[in-house]
Amino acid sequence: MVRRKVGGAVGEMFRTGLEPPVTVEYPFGKKVVTERFRGKLDIDPIKCTGCSICEIVCPAQVITMVPVGKKKVGDREVDIKRPSFELFACISCGQCVDDCKFGALTLTRDFELAVFKKESTLMKKALVVGK
Amino acid sequence: MSDNTEGPHYTESSAGLMEYSAESAMPFGPVHPSLKEPEYFKLILEGEKIVQVMPRIGYVHRGIERAAQDRTWVKNVYLVERICGICSFSHSLGYTQGVENLTPFEIPRRARYLRTVVHELERIHSHLLWLGLIGHWAGFDTLFMWIWKDREHSLDLLEAITGNRVNKSYSTIGGVRKDLPDGMAERLKTEAGFIEKRLDYYEDLMGGEETFTIRTRGMGRINQEVTRRLSTVGPLLRCTGIPRDIRVEDPYAAYDEVVPEVMTSNDGDVASLITIRLKEARDSCRMIKEAVDKMPSGDFKINIPRAIPAGESMFHVEAPRGELFYYVKSAGGSTPERVKIRTSTMANILTGVEMLKGHTLADVPVVLTGMDPCFGCMDRIAVLEVDKGKEWSIGGEALRKYGIDYYSKRRGGK
Amino acid sequence: MTPIEVLQLLLFPGLTFFVWLAFLFEWLERKTAARMQGRRGPVVTGPYGILQPVADFFKLAAKEEIVPAESDSFVLRWGPALYFAAPAIGVAFIPVVGAQSILYDPLDLLFMLFILAFSTLMALMLGYASAGRYSTIAIGRLVVQYTGYEIPLILAMVTPAVLARNLSIAGIAAAQANLWYIFLAPVAFAVFIIAALAELEKPPFDIPSAKTEIVGGWMTEFSGNTLAYVKLTKNLSYAFLSALAVSLFLGGAGGPVLSADPTVQAVLYTVYFLAKLFAVGFVIFVIRTALARVRIDQATRLFWTILTPLSLAQLAVAILVVAR
Repeated sequence: MVRRKVGGAVGEMFRTGLEPPVTVEYPFGKKVVTERFRGKLDIDPIKCTGCSICEIVCPAQVITMVPVGKKKVGDREVDIKRPSFELFACISCGQCVDDCKFGALTLTRDFELAVFKKESTLMKKALVVGK
Repeated sequence: MSDNTEGPHYTESSAGLMEYSAESAMPFGPVHPSLKEPEYFKLILEGEKIVQVMPRIGYVHRGIERAAQDRTWVKNVYLVERICGICSFSHSLGYTQGVENLTPFEIPRRARYLRTVVHELERIHSHLLWLGLIGHWAGFDTLFMWIWKDREHSLDLLEAITGNRVNKSYSTIGGVRKDLPDGMAERLKTEAGFIEKRLDYYEDLMGGEETFTIRTRGMGRINQEVTRRLSTVGPLLRCTGIPRDIRVEDPYAAYDEVVPEVMTSNDGDVASLITIRLKEARDSCRMIKEAVDKMPSGDFKINIPRAIPAGESMFHVEAPRGELFYYVKSAGGSTPERVKIRTSTMANILTGVEMLKGHTLADVPVVLTGMDPCFGCMDRIAVLEVDKGKEWSIGGEALRKYGIDYYSKRRGGK
Repeated sequence: MTPIEVLQLLLFPGLTFFVWLAFLFEWLERKTAARMQGRRGPVVTGPYGILQPVADFFKLAAKEEIVPAESDSFVLRWGPALYFAAPAIGVAFIPVVGAQSILYDPLDLLFMLFILAFSTLMALMLGYASAGRYSTIAIGRLVVQYTGYEIPLILAMVTPAVLARNLSIAGIAAAQANLWYIFLAPVAFAVFIIAALAELEKPPFDIPSAKTEIVGGWMTEFSGNTLAYVKLTKNLSYAFLSALAVSLFLGGAGGPVLSADPTVQAVLYTVYFLAKLFAVGFVIFVIRTALARVRIDQATRLFWTILTPLSLAQLAVAILVVAR
C-alpha cells in the first residue's frame, strides 16, 4: 500500500534552515578552486626553445610563432621563433601543456580573466631570445 | 484522416503530412521557460488536450560533424566534448575509443578504470540535474534546490580529478590525461557514500510527497509497442520493461569487470523514470566505490602516433540519456574523413512527442523533461518541400551557395 | 472624517504601514524559503537584503511599459489601480492598535468578502484585457480555482462570526478576549489558511501564474509601472489575509494589559498584533516551501470534495456550540 503523505519535506526544511547556507557570496566572498583547475595559461620564457609544437596542437589557434631573431644552423640562417598568445581565444584545454617537451607552459588557477581592453589579453612575454 | 470539422481541422496532404488550421495549433517554443534549449513543437489542441505534436528541429545546429573534418584527431576531442555540457565526457569517450579502435594499440587497464570512474561521476551529475529539473517543472522548487546542492559534491569531485566541472577534457587518444590526485581514492569513496544516503532520502521524498506524485504518476504512459516501433534508447526504453544497457551488452572501458545493474520498471510513466534514474545514480555510486577498490596500477596513457590508419570504426557508449553512437572514418591522414554522431535524444524525440499525446498543456513541461531532452546534442537540418512531398538532405557547399544567392536576391536583385 | 482619522488611514496603521508590512512579508518569505533550501536569499540591498522588495519595486517602476497591440490598453494601464484599491481599503478595517480599527461598520465582514471577490474580478479583468495566449489560459484556470476556494473561504470566515455573534471584524477580535477561536474552531483556521494560499496564488495552488508553464499567468503582459503595482498588490493581499486570519482566529491585537498608560498600551497592542501576524505568515511560508504545485483539476477536487464539506461541518459545530 503506497503511503500517501503530504509535507514530507518539512523536517528536512527545518534542518537545512538551521545549517549555514552553502552559497558562496562571490565576488564578495572568495571562490576556492581545486589544485588542478585549468585557468589562465602561463609560459616560462627561459624554458621555451621555439619548437612550435604548441602552435601545431592548439585546438583554438591561440598561438602564433613570431620570428624574433636569426641563428646559424649549419651554413644556413634560420629564424628563431617564439610564441605569442591570444589568450581571449584560449579554452584552457591544456593540450599545449601536455605536449611541450620542455615544460615551459603551465595552466594557472586564475579564472578572473575579464579585461577592459582586448589588447591586454595578448601574452608576449616569451618573445625574448632566451639563449 | 479525412477532413474533421468538429475538432481541429487537419487534412492529410499527398505527401503524408498533416496540415492544420491555425486556431487549434499552439506553438510551444522555441523559446519557452520550460525548455532548456530551443526546439519548436507545434501542439495541436482540442480544448486543453493535445492530440498531435509536430516537432521542428534545427535551432541549435552548429555543424559539428563538418567542423570535425577540418581538425586533427586530437583537436577533435575538444570539439566533440563541447557538443553537450551534461554528457560531455560520454561524447569524448565515444570519440576517443572509436579512434583507438582504428589503431592496433590497446590502452592500459588503469586508463579504462579511470575512464569508468569519470563516466559514472558524470552519470550521477546528469541524473541529479534531471531529478532537480523534474522537481522544478512540477513546482517543487525546494526539491530542486536541495538536489542541486548535493550535485555540487559530484561536480567538485570532477573538478578535482579533471580540472573543470563541465568540459572535462579528460579522455585523450591513448588513455586519459592525468592520474587521480593523491587522496582522491579515499575521497571518492566517502563522497559516493554521502550521495548514496542523500539519494535514499530523495527516493523516499519523491515517492511519498503527494502533491508531487500526482504530477508525475501516470504521466506520459508509453509501452513496449511504442518503444519498439520508435527505437527508443536509454532510461526511456528501460521504463517499459526492456532491459537494454550498452554497458552490459557491449562492455567498454572497465564495464566487463565492474558490472552495472540494469534498472527497469514496467509502468512507463514519468514516476517510473524518476525511480529508474534514482536507482541508476545509486548504482553509479556503488560502481565508483568498486572501481576505486579494483583499480589496477600502471600507466594511464600510451602514446599513439598522430596518423591514424585508414578504416572505419563504429562505437557506442551508454551516455546518461541513452545510447550514443559514433562512426569514425579515417583515410589515413591527420584529419578524420567523416565523423557521424547519433545521440540518444535524436532517437528519443519521437517517443517524447508520443508521450505528450492525450495530456493537457499543464503537463507538457513535466512530460517533455521526462524524456530528458538534450537538443544541443541532437540537432540536424532537413529540407522539406511540402508541395512536392520530397525530403532530402543538403550538403554544406550547396547550402552556402543557396544562402549567398538568397540574400543577394533580397538585397539587390542581382 | 476628522483629520486625525485621515492621517491614520494614510499612514499608521493604515495604508503606508501595511505597504511596508507587505514589503517586509515578501522579504521574509524569500529569506525563509531560501534558508530552508540551503541558500541565502537577498543579501545585497540593505542589511540582510531587507530593502530588496523596495528595490524591485522601484526598478520595475523605472522600466518601459510594453502594451501589446491587441490588448485593451486603457484597462491595462489603469486597472492595476483598482486592483490595488481592494486590499488597500480592506486594511483599514483591521484592528491593529487595540480593539478599534480606523474604519468601522457593524457589517464589515461582509465587506471583506466583497473585497476578496473584487480582487479576483479585477485580476480576471486584467488578464482578459491582456489578450495574450498565456493570459487567456491563465484566467480560465483562475476562474476555476476561484469557484473552488471561494466557498470554503467564506464558510471559514463566517464561522468566527457565528461564534462571536458579531459581523464586524473589530467585534470578532474583541470577542476573543477569553479564548482565541483557533482553539474553538481549528478546522476553520486550517481551511482559511489553505483557501488563502489559493487566493494568493502560492504553491501548491499557484496554477494561474505557474511560472514554468504559462510564463507569467495572467500577469504575463504586464511590465514596468503596472507590474510593480500588481506585485505590490499581491504582497499587500498577503499581509491583508494574514491580518484577517489574526483578527478572526487569533484575537486581533488583544493580549495582556501590562500598562495603565494608553500610549504604551497601544504600542504593546501593536507588538502583539505584529507577533501574531508574523506567526501566521511563517506558517504560510512553511506550507508554501514544502509543497509542489498541483494541477487545476486536482486542486478543484481538493476544494470541492474535502474542504467544502469540512468547513460546512465546522460551521455546523460552531452553530451548535453557540446555540447552547
